[in-house]
Amino acid sequence: MGLEDRRAQEPDVYQPAEDSHLLAEAACERLERGDLVLEVGTGSGYVAHQIADETGARVIASDLNPHAVRQARSAGVETVRADLVSPFRDGAFDAVVFNPPYLPTDPENEWDDWMERALSGGEDGRAVIDPFLADVGRVLAPDGSVSLLVSSLTGVDEVVEEAGEHGFSAVAVADESFPFETLTVLELFR
Amino acid sequence: MKESLLDILCCPLDKHDLGLEGAEHDDEEVIAGTLVCSECGEEYPIEDGIPNLLPPDMREETPA
Repeated sequence: MGLEDRRAQEPDVYQPAEDSHLLAEAACERLERGDLVLEVGTGSGYVAHQIADETGARVIASDLNPHAVRQARSAGVETVRADLVSPFRDGAFDAVVFNPPYLPTDPENEWDDWMERALSGGEDGRAVIDPFLADVGRVLAPDGSVSLLVSSLTGVDEVVEEAGEHGFSAVAVADESFPFETLTVLELFR
Repeated sequence: MKESLLDILCCPLDKHDLGLEGAEHDDEEVIAGTLVCSECGEEYPIEDGIPNLLPPDMREETPA
């Protein structure tokens, strides 16, 4: 589904799509009861809710978008309005999960509204992923790991390389192909 | 928010602990109040049970 179609359905909050399902499934497989998990950019709260429901882990969900945190909270998810991982303590989480805005977007084509913020990764698709990779290590427990959804449109190799710059090794734990892109869930660990 | 969230949160600016002031509770949840940084004194509001921990310079940035 293209940006235009997605925008027409729900103007303020990104709703669960193929990427959300793939990320939730991959995260559920390796998380367990007792884990403390952060979902960054939760949107509707779908992924956070699935993880909490399926694994019994405690999931905290954050989003920049005030409409998203309200929607996620009404879905029963613990929510915080935040910029990426900035208001979370050092070493707090066993896992961080993120389905980032990753679509490369022509600057002249941006709408400057909440749905654009949820989808657009800037010109190279990595405008949000790069600062996330720079800071996420701080909030991970020593054995903690990151589940990050990446599209072939964003460049999986480029993301793996950038993660390496911040001390992470990357393994692809799930992928699914669509006509215009392949979605991959990367697990990042140190 | 649950009060236990305070053990996970910190000031987004200097990463110091936050204190809870003027809390209004509803069952086990804090539904209103202010989170205050123990170091820099910056205040973060809790609105409808959701703490807003955006740094002050991002709070006003609200697309339609």
